[in-house]
This record gives sequence, structure tokens and C-alpha cells, in this order.
Amino acid sequence: MNNLSDLHIDALAEVFSIGAGRAALSLSEIVGDEVRISVPSIQVINSKDINSATLLLNDGRFGAVSQYFSGPFNAEAVLLFAEDQALKIVGDMMGSQMSIEELAEFEHEAMCELGNIILNACLSAMADIFEFTLESSLPDYTVASADEILHRLKTNSNQPYVMVLHIDLTIEKRHTAGNLVFLLSSSSLDSLISHVDQFLGKIS
Amino acid sequence: MPVDNSIKKLLIVDDSKVSRMLIRTHILAQRPEWIISEAVCGEEAIALVDNDLPDYCTMDINMPGIQGTDAAEQILSKHPSIKTVIFSANIQETHQTRARSLGTILVAKPVTEKSIALTLDFFATSQ
Amino acid sequence: MNDICNTLNLGVCAVDAEGKVLLWNDWIAKHSGVKETDALNKPLEQIFSEPVSPSFLAALKNTLTYRLPVVLSTALHRSPLPLHNVSGTNQQPSRMYQSITITPIQSQRDESCCLIQVTDSSTSIKREKMLRAHSEILKKEATTDGLTDICNRRFFDAHYEMAVADAKRQKYPLSIFMIDIDFFKSYNDYYGHVAGDDVIKRVADALKSQLSRATDIVARYGGEEFVLVMPNLPQQVAKQFAEKLRSAVFNLAMPHIKSQTLKQITISVGVCTGIPENDNNLLNKADTALYQAKVKGRNQCVCLPLSEAEEYLEQ
Repeated sequence: MNNLSDLHIDALAEVFSIGAGRAALSLSEIVGDEVRISVPSIQVINSKDINSATLLLNDGRFGAVSQYFSGPFNAEAVLLFAEDQALKIVGDMMGSQMSIEELAEFEHEAMCELGNIILNACLSAMADIFEFTLESSLPDYTVASADEILHRLKTNSNQPYVMVLHIDLTIEKRHTAGNLVFLLSSSSLDSLISHVDQFLGKIS
Repeated sequence: MPVDNSIKKLLIVDDSKVSRMLIRTHILAQRPEWIISEAVCGEEAIALVDNDLPDYCTMDINMPGIQGTDAAEQILSKHPSIKTVIFSANIQETHQTRARSLGTILVAKPVTEKSIALTLDFFATSQ
Repeated sequence: MNDICNTLNLGVCAVDAEGKVLLWNDWIAKHSGVKETDALNKPLEQIFSEPVSPSFLAALKNTLTYRLPVVLSTALHRSPLPLHNVSGTNQQPSRMYQSITITPIQSQRDESCCLIQVTDSSTSIKREKMLRAHSEILKKEATTDGLTDICNRRFFDAHYEMAVADAKRQKYPLSIFMIDIDFFKSYNDYYGHVAGDDVIKRVADALKSQLSRATDIVARYGGEEFVLVMPNLPQQVAKQFAEKLRSAVFNLAMPHIKSQTLKQITISVGVCTGIPENDNNLLNKADTALYQAKVKGRNQCVCLPLSEAEEYLEQ
């Protein structure tokens, strides 16, 4: 299935590291402190092979921010964070003495924004480098167990491929890891690859 | 500004092959006569400059092993003549300050014609 | 179309590619104090007399450049635009908490523009705060004893179950102290219920003042009975602590001329310490220890291990 060469992966990694850098800049402007985001790995797999091991998910509950986007290719992008870690991060970003219980009331909207910043930064980096325009829906936030999330990803039969990015986020010494999952149909994956090829063709 | 047409040596330090290709392509489009070498991490760059001293260097920050800014600091303390530009997607204030303190500039990725123009301008004018 | 826009109970504003205002509904005019005629065709950031937050302007620029929708949450931004709550009175209007979404739209001439929607989140925050304060009072009422302000029986029952489960799982000893005020019925009969309540309060305070660890609790078990739950004490230390409790109450030196011990208020203490296993019951054993302390003449402590094996080990 997977027509991605090492060079394709390298190009995508560079795009997403630029996206991560932009997201870190936006977040640092909100929190007034250094924010570090890195994308240590990228993989493209068949959605039936996706499981809690590939996503490094454990038992707890996960917050999932999703946006549907369309353009030269269509995909659903889902950003996953462990809910308790995400709440701590949102708490740090709000810079107050709020308890976790108090934070819960702001969780929905604040997580939408955090996810929106990271997703938009990645999409805009893609748009800049591969020279295309994407449109996107507003972000949506749900909280579910790893099993529920994976079940939904697997049953999405129109989109047999998933691109999984592991994301490390550090704000004011608090560290968390998340996953950015792109659900892609075969034609969307082909279209993404052809854009990467076009880009590589210009520089080699 | 007079264009210096002499042959210069540039070292590109970046762990991403695509990023090195991108910088190389854009630089050669402007300065086809330049000699370009590459390193994939800070450690390799530190070893390379001792054997073959370049005139210029572009340095990524996030790489396996030591950070690009730390590598640049080590290289510049030994070879202060190498004019260096730090390339990074991360342009937060802390990195900007660090780059300035090393006598370098921070140029935002992605690598484009515009960022290469900034780089060449810095190489040509800085002392 | 304009009527619909102006009837909406949220702020609606559209800007063109240069950031100039194309649409300005009544809601936003009302809360900004800027009339539609003064807003149209002007750059958004120059319309207000106060500055617009930099994160709002950055988000707007991003949406115009990349055509991706943006969310600005109340939690992270509070009040990006200088909008105010308009009250009927002469009070100084307060700055409004806002939730904002910015979405790219296509103008009739196919130019890049943005739709900005603003909702007032002040009311939802206020409602949340009230509900939270209310539920905290209810929570406190549900778990606190009204007379003594220490934990009540209901809280103890729930806490005891968890404390036993934790100690069982992590295999550390748990100590239960059962405490009874000696000859309290005679005190009530002689001094009256108001004075009796006061004794209960002062004994509760004295017991509570002996606790220093966050893991320890004291609760009112029944009328003049108290119970303490303390994890992770060796039996010898639990015994010393029981003695500390007894002397703390003794040192209050409250007269009780009907007492058959010392003519002052005293307590009897029964303690049981051990690592909980399947069927053994710390609470019953502590109650047995309290009974023994009373039989032995009151104003004293009796300490029992949870199992015979532990009794053997201690000696």
C-alpha cells in the first residue's frame, strides 16, 4: 500500500516541524513563556492496523479535537491528548490557581482552541510548502476512552489510511505527549503524495 | 550593494535531507559557483569545520544530539570568522535572543526565496 | 437579511481582506458603543477607543491569510475586544467576557473576507460560579457535623471504606480510634443539654487539634462518641497517640461533679491497629478495645492488634 519513501517522510516531517514551530510561537504569545513542540515521529499505516500500541495510548480518557478539511485532498485531523494532562496544560495556560474541577468548566472551549492552534499551524505549513489551499471546519471536542476513539477511527471505512504524528508539548516545564492523526482516503493519500513529489521535484 | 562573485564555501547543517536540499537549491540559484558541504547534526558540523573551514554556515536548531545553537556556539568560539545563520521554525523570543548573543541571526523556516535573500544579505554585510 | 443579523443575540461582524469592516450588527454596536455608520469601511482595530488584543489581530490575520477558522476561548483570552455589558443603571459598564470564532467566507466579488462571531460568556461564567458555590455548600453540609464542624458519620462511613481498601492494597497498617466521653448522660442530666453540647464541641476541638497529617480524620460517630482514622502508624505509636488524646481532653479540666472517675470530663479510648485482610474488622475490634477501657475504670486507653499474630509480634 504505502508508497511513501524515506524522502517523502522526511519532507512531511520538515513540514510538520515547521507547523509545530508556528504553533509553539502562537501558544507562547498566549502564555507569555517559552513553549516547545516537536514532532518526533511520523508514520502512515492502514487504519485497520491502528491500535493503542501504535498510538501509545493507555487506559485513561482522551480529549480529541477534530477538524475536517478539504482542498486538494480531504481528511479528518484529530488531535489526541490524555485528558488529565490536557487539563493541567490548559490550567498552566490560564495561569491561575484554579483547581482541576474548576478547570473542567472551561475545558471544552479551551481544548478546542489549543487543538485549533496546533491543527491550523500544521495545515498552514503544508499550504505554504506544498503551495495549495485547504478549507477547514471549526474544531470539535470530545472526551472518550482510547477504545471508543480507536473504534471510531477503524470503522471509518471511507478512510483506510491514517497518518499518525507523535507530538511532544512542553509549557513551563510541564510536559505532555499527544498524537495528531490524519484520516485519509486512498485518493487523498495519493493526492498528498503527488504534492510531496511535485515539491521534491523542484529541489532535487 | 556590490555582489561578491568570489567562490565561497557554505556548510549546511540540518538533520532533514529535504531541508538541506531546499537550502542548497535556493542558494545555488543565487550563487551557482559556491561550494556546498552538508552535516546532519551538530557533532558532525563541529568535526567538519576543523578539517575544511567554510566561509558561511546555516544551522538548524532541533536536531538529534546537541542543539544547533549549542553547536554554533562551539564552532564560533573556535572559528569566529564563519558567518552563521540559524534556521528554525521556532522563532520565539528565547531563540532570537540566543541567536543574537552568538552574533548570528535567526531566520524563520520554511526556507523560501525570501529567507535565502535575508541569509545572503547577512553573509554579505555582517562583520 | 439585515433584520435577521440585527435580531441575533450575538455579535456579528465581517471584514474584508484588508481588515476593513463590511458588516456590523446591532448587538456589537450596542456593546461597543460604536454605531454601524461609524464602523463601516474602517479597519477593525481603529474603530474602538481602546486597543484590540494582539492575539485577536494575529488570529484575524491568520484567517485572512490561510483561510482556516479560528477559535478564541474565554478561558485563554477573557476579553479580546473592547466590548462592555450594558446595564440599565448608571453603573460603570463592565468589560464583557467573550468567546469568539473567526471563519473565512467568500464575498460576492470572490474576495477573501472573514466572519467574526462574538458571544457573551459572562452569564455562563456567572452561572457556573453560582452553581459551583452552591454545590460546595451542599457538599460541606453533607459531610460535616453541624454541632462540632468535624466530619459526620456519613463522611466517616465512606472514608473508612476507602481507607481500609487502600491499606489492604498497599499493605500498610491502619489505626482506628473509638472514643467515648465518660458518664456523659449524667453530665447532660445535671448540667443540661446546652452545656452538654458545649462539652461535645470542646472535646471535638481538642481531638482535632492533635491531628497534623492530611491523611488523618476525626469524625463524630454518634451522640458522645468519636472516631479517628489514621493510616501508617506502628502499633506502639498508635498507643502513645491514644494517650495523647486522653490527656488533651483531661487537660481541658472541665468540671463534672457527677462523674464517678475524677469529677471532671474524661474520655475512654479504644484503638485497633493492623493491616486489613479479608474478614477481620478494625472497627469492631476498636469498639471491643473501647469496651475494655470502660470496664477497666474509664479515663484510659486500650490498644488491641487486629490479629493474634500481630499481638504475638508486638511482644
